[in-house]
Amino acid sequence: MQASRPARNPGPSWGYRFLRGCDRVLPEAVFRPVRGIGTAIAMVWMPEQRRHSRDYLALVLGRRPGWRDIWRHFFAFEEALMVKLRVINGRPHRTVYGAGAEDFRAWLEGGGPVLLGTFHVGVSDLLGCQIGGYEAQQVYVVRRRVGNSHDIDKLAERFGGRLHFVWVNEPGEMIFALKEAAATQAAIAMQCDRMEFAARTEEFEFLGARRRFPFTIYHLALIFGRPVLLSVGLPDGRELAVLHASPRFDLRPGEPRGQTLERARAHFQAFLFQLEELLVRHPYLWFNFTRMNPPVGGPAATPT
Amino acid sequence: MSDPLSDHLKRLIVETLRLEDVKPEDIQDDAPLIGSGLALDSIDAVELVLKFEKEFGIKIRSSEEARQALASVSSLAAFIRQHADPSRLPA
Repeated sequence: MQASRPARNPGPSWGYRFLRGCDRVLPEAVFRPVRGIGTAIAMVWMPEQRRHSRDYLALVLGRRPGWRDIWRHFFAFEEALMVKLRVINGRPHRTVYGAGAEDFRAWLEGGGPVLLGTFHVGVSDLLGCQIGGYEAQQVYVVRRRVGNSHDIDKLAERFGGRLHFVWVNEPGEMIFALKEAAATQAAIAMQCDRMEFAARTEEFEFLGARRRFPFTIYHLALIFGRPVLLSVGLPDGRELAVLHASPRFDLRPGEPRGQTLERARAHFQAFLFQLEELLVRHPYLWFNFTRMNPPVGGPAATPT
Repeated sequence: MSDPLSDHLKRLIVETLRLEDVKPEDIQDDAPLIGSGLALDSIDAVELVLKFEKEFGIKIRSSEEARQALASVSSLAAFIRQHADPSRLPA
């Protein structure tokens, strides 16, 4: 039997520390081209990630992507990582609210327990930190523990005791940690695009086909009696992100479970259409370097 | 002879998880609840833990306790007997 390798992010384990160190000493005019060359070298050594990038870009661009497109995709990922590393290094970073983020803003300012769904898009990882930056807010982030999660560990340190992690690939831990998180007033944040470790999935229309997406967040909403907000953060320059969010999905007292789940499907689908529109404008910002959500057949509707 | 607590737990599992194709008597006392056996997933487990805590006034205090308690109906019954107020157990 072949031993499975532990999951880890691409790149050397010392890479994040190296980038943080260089960022402290090198001027950006020098460091940025160096990062560009480093990205090109990384691309050459990552045939599988290149293939997944090509498959995704072909869909979102509507044409066969060239090497330059794939490099831009890899570089966008690297630049989003740099934003996180700079926040860890203490640089200021702020988020402004994009269209449709009114409910998210109201929640952030008013508080209350909520489930936050996000995607591997742009600087969405930093949303948890933004929330953690609000003194009244505590956030439990549900995510997969990988070998070199230096960036996440350091972000947690940077935002003190307001960010906690629930590791989804440690199921025994996860059940207990989720239960404990739900017993508090803290927000629980999870990513809603990758299929690994998704307990519940459903089909949605996305990028020209029906594809499976994790739907666990709405089941947790029913179990814990919490509303759901979906959001992504797109970078806008080096120190700014624009938050795009869904309206708040609320449970209705006495509503039959089946009806609630129907409304939940419509809520998630509406946000996927919103995300699709964003990705058409910013195609390199969905970090799909693993196999993207496979189509399940059937024609897809046009986003409205 | 059947155990009233185990029978009650099986009914609670079927009701809480809305298992349409499973009857309480189909659930074996020693069959694993999560993964194989009933093939419950981690979300089902969270829902069950919350239900049992409310029903029996118990508190699962660690992931290790959660793992042990949810191993099977027998282990769940043993855990509840050990931690619950006896007045809350079925006669």
